[in-house]
Amino acid sequence: MPAPRLRSRSLRKVFRKVPGGRVSLHHKKKRPKTAKCGNCGASLKGVPRAFPFRMRSMAKTKKRPERPYGGVLCSRCMRQAIIDKTRQ
Amino acid sequence: MIEIGRLCVKIAGRDAGKKCIIIDILDDKYVLIDGETRRRKVNILHVEPLNQKIEIKKNASHDEVSKALDELGIKALHTKPKQKTAKPLKKRKTPEQLRVRKEEKRKLRNIFKPKKKEEKIEPKEATLEQKAGLDEDKKEEKTEKKAAKPKEKKITPKKKE
Repeated sequence: MPAPRLRSRSLRKVFRKVPGGRVSLHHKKKRPKTAKCGNCGASLKGVPRAFPFRMRSMAKTKKRPERPYGGVLCSRCMRQAIIDKTRQ
Repeated sequence: MIEIGRLCVKIAGRDAGKKCIIIDILDDKYVLIDGETRRRKVNILHVEPLNQKIEIKKNASHDEVSKALDELGIKALHTKPKQKTAKPLKKRKTPEQLRVRKEEKRKLRNIFKPKKKEEKIEPKEATLEQKAGLDEDKKEEKTEKKAAKPKEKKITPKKKE
């Protein structure tokens, strides 16, 4: 039976194969995924990797870059999108 | 395509997607722009030139640029210049003021200082016998003994004359 503090679902469970050959259960801290570009899937810079409850307390300028499509597209994709729009 | 008066779209930074005019060509890399964007020096890789061109003189002022853009139906950015405020001059404090400040600080310091504890003579803890009241009986016995002692006077033999 795991320790009572590990019996909560606030920690994620990871099965690890230990050197002795048996499989043991490790408890790891949960962490959100990095924000991804909507077009190419590259990880976005300037977007913090934080849970929504922490993001809520942050300033708007700290949550995404201050440019059009900031926090949605990466800078390269945003640039290409604007160029495509102007050349139409 | 990069020439003075060329209408462009900024494609990088916080002004991305906004239209501007090239006012000056600084070198083979940088140009000066003005319009919907802030008036600033930019890399030519960060602007996308459009087909339109406006006749404007080199290093034109912001008002001239805004007038030229109005004809095209583009509103130029207007920023209010910061009001300059004079820095307050530092004044030396007179010796009296310094003395007053020192006294105030001393007072504050004394507030947080722990007060000296007054030495209190604590009464001795009552023994179990005292609590039980047995001590009083003992005292009585002692007093009785004391009272009995003075009665026993030594009888000294009188000297014969």
